[in-house]
Amino acid sequence: MSVTRGVAAQPIGSERAVARFGKFKGWVLIYIAVAVLLTGVSLVVGTSSVRTSLGWLMSPAVLSDAVLWDIRLPRTLGAWSAGALLGLAGAIAQSVFRNPLAEPYLLGSSSGAALGVTLSLLVTETSLTGLAWLGQLGLTGAAFAGACAGITLTLALSRGVLQTPSLLLAGVVVAFLLGAIMSLLLLRSPETWRAMQSFLLGSTGFLGWRSVALLAVVLAVSLPPAGLLSRGLDALTLGEDTAWSLGIPLASLRLALLGLLSLTTAASVSQVGVVGFVGLVAPHLVRESVHVNSRQLIVAAPLCGGALLQAADILSRWIIRPSELPVGIVTACLGGTYLVVLLWRKAQRE
Amino acid sequence: MRSRPGALLVGLLALVCTCAAGRAADAPIVLFDSAHHELRLEHPPTRIASLLPSLTETVCELQECGHLVVVDRYSNWPASVAQLPKAGGLEDVEIEQIVSARPDVVLVAHAPRVLERLRGLGLVVFEFETQRYADIGRNVTVIGALLGVPERAARLNRQIEDSVEEVAAAARSRLAERAPLVYFEVDSGPYGAGPQSFIGEMLGRIGVRNILTADLGPFPRLNPEYVVRANPDVIFISPTEAPHLIHRPGWERIRAVREQRICSFPPAVRDTIVRPGPRVAEGYRALTECLLRVAP
Amino acid sequence: MNSTVLSAVHDFPPLSLREVSVGFGPRTVLARLSLDVPRERWTSIVGPNGCGKSTLLRTLMGLLQPENGRVWLEGRVLADWSRRERAQRVAWLPQTTPVSDLLVRDCVALARFAHTGWLGSLTLSDEAAVEKALLATGVRELAARRLSTLSGGERQRVNLARLLAAECPILLLDEPTTHLDPPHQIDIARILRQQAHHGRGTVVSAIHDMSVALLADEIIVMGMHGLVGQGSVSQALDEGWLSRAFGTSIKVTRSGTSYVWQPDLAE
Repeated sequence: MSVTRGVAAQPIGSERAVARFGKFKGWVLIYIAVAVLLTGVSLVVGTSSVRTSLGWLMSPAVLSDAVLWDIRLPRTLGAWSAGALLGLAGAIAQSVFRNPLAEPYLLGSSSGAALGVTLSLLVTETSLTGLAWLGQLGLTGAAFAGACAGITLTLALSRGVLQTPSLLLAGVVVAFLLGAIMSLLLLRSPETWRAMQSFLLGSTGFLGWRSVALLAVVLAVSLPPAGLLSRGLDALTLGEDTAWSLGIPLASLRLALLGLLSLTTAASVSQVGVVGFVGLVAPHLVRESVHVNSRQLIVAAPLCGGALLQAADILSRWIIRPSELPVGIVTACLGGTYLVVLLWRKAQRE
Repeated sequence: MRSRPGALLVGLLALVCTCAAGRAADAPIVLFDSAHHELRLEHPPTRIASLLPSLTETVCELQECGHLVVVDRYSNWPASVAQLPKAGGLEDVEIEQIVSARPDVVLVAHAPRVLERLRGLGLVVFEFETQRYADIGRNVTVIGALLGVPERAARLNRQIEDSVEEVAAAARSRLAERAPLVYFEVDSGPYGAGPQSFIGEMLGRIGVRNILTADLGPFPRLNPEYVVRANPDVIFISPTEAPHLIHRPGWERIRAVREQRICSFPPAVRDTIVRPGPRVAEGYRALTECLLRVAP
Repeated sequence: MNSTVLSAVHDFPPLSLREVSVGFGPRTVLARLSLDVPRERWTSIVGPNGCGKSTLLRTLMGLLQPENGRVWLEGRVLADWSRRERAQRVAWLPQTTPVSDLLVRDCVALARFAHTGWLGSLTLSDEAAVEKALLATGVRELAARRLSTLSGGERQRVNLARLLAAECPILLLDEPTTHLDPPHQIDIARILRQQAHHGRGTVVSAIHDMSVALLADEIIVMGMHGLVGQGSVSQALDEGWLSRAFGTSIKVTRSGTSYVWQPDLAE
């Protein structure tokens, strides 16, 4: 049976039979190297000049040690971890929904988490920095519970797990609904409104070692199951009917993936607030640089997302030093620009 | 700033108008507000709407409280104001509430959307600048002219300035040797009060040093490590945030946190500090009292 | 393979329907339908558009739940089969597949999921099955390509390779010849026939191209009001099932080992 009867598809450069596995490993190393580099940069960037910071590294003192090891280092590691969680969540979301525009906050998880934090702030009258360091179940639990509630509401609205379009639609509806409730609550209490603004724009400002620990644990707990389920994700790209016929338990797979999505998103949101674009852009960046199957995407997207948020954190501290921008604004600018470039390039190709 | 010549102009105009009109009972009142919008009233207003707490307080300090018909939800002093109908905040004004109160004039701070809407409905709207200490005196004068009680206004201004100077001078003398380094946090973010802000001016006047410099602006959003590096002696912060300071990464090294030199004020007291209004002297007193207590 | 042993032991049909009704909202597509799929034969479902060919196939697969009646797989109610067992016995080729970014080889290898499960990696026999399928459908040279870069016809053949790689005794195919030009359509027919006869497989397909559909061993003729008839092709012709089902006169003539369908425009 000959192959090239009829119209033959043009082989595109990157599709040539290169040692595909080797290329993937190369990119993994690149992402790790970038993360290490950014960690180093992060240590010397902030309210002091690079020279001063380097001076601190040479001759330690109490205050400068506090800045370097209690503020800058956990901050950058926390940013990496949160970015990794978002990258993982984005990869899962885009795979489950088979939609390149899917992002972690799709199913109402961010509005649910925000509402949970709002309620918690209103009820207990705790502060926003309490948010970042509380490694215990307090505010993180509120954010997580809120994220779960948001996703549950979405599932209920779409009447089941198996219809993707209705899931997406329900997610949009829930996001609006919960956002409206949150705005209503905040209107009654202007002080909480100011605190929530900080949360909604995203902030890596108060990430300490406890936050890092929490984020790292969630990442370690989420990656193995996600890698395991990636085979099902691959099957899902062929359509739900085919996946089902291959023996993939669709409903359980969905639930498990949505559970992971909810866990990773909630953990990230509870520590750094609502940071957009990282979850959307990281999987894209990975797929644009090297072709990957689902399992490889699950590994690479977190690495990419981590580096992205690290970079955004550094920029947010450096651009208007000693003031700082909310990191969500930086990611929006970076991410938005990248998406515009992507669209432009796609248009060029066609 | 354009407020200086503006203040002079308004003051002069007011003086001219009131002199020419005697008790200003019959002659029309012509004033320019902070946006240089001309205001023309036949006689002093008897129904006043105020959408900013400091303006409400000014009206009441000028003994014209009885003329207030509707205020914003944040106006809470004096107690009699609580009985009045509330028309929302500045950004989310309840237009109907204001219109149904049929005010002769509406006192607002800078809020373009609200202004457009109210003026479009035919109301007389007077805009005020309320950012700095200098604005207090000017606003008192203007409102006094507006209400036809310029002498009372002048007296109130003198009284405010005298009490403030009295408190400030006493504070300066007692804090002179210590000259504490201070950080005033306005909001979690963290947002600090710079020297150019109203609060910053107060702190400067009582002789403490601000960790923020003027070039950062009035309310910059800070990198938390800035505060750690500056190592202030005293931190001003809200009561809900105060117990969590020690948990902010690196902040346990700050002298103010280590030695528990924190100043928090209950909301009622905080109002006198953050509102550039006639009760500013009380704000000074609160600041000074706490400083004298906790400063090293 | 297990299937040969089982089929020798049991003498019930691999797939059957009993009094099955399937509808979408107010519309009933299958009404109290009962039929048996013959073992180790290639059965073609033919009928006009909208008569329920796809619905019948999907019901046989278990993708649609009948409102009444039951579907039987190898003598057991379909609903009682575990996912894994069912996936090892029945393979499905849908009418349309979303364009995926997978590599051809990965796509075909997915067919072995029922054998490897979540954790297992591909064994030698899995790899062999994949290779065999790639060769049989002539897409071996495309193995390192991404599905999204292939033409519709190439993708269709990759999907077929995936079907074959599963090595299931029962194959259900919904319009497998779409996008394919005639030479490839014949190749498909050849593969299906080979699966049925030499591979000891049971094949059921819905192909609307009459000349290919009539290459099967048996046909099930569906009309707009239900089953018209089931039997061999010559039986269908003798008893005029096709004319009855399609409502217009269909002239089918035998030509060697195949049948030729000619439209009869004469009123």
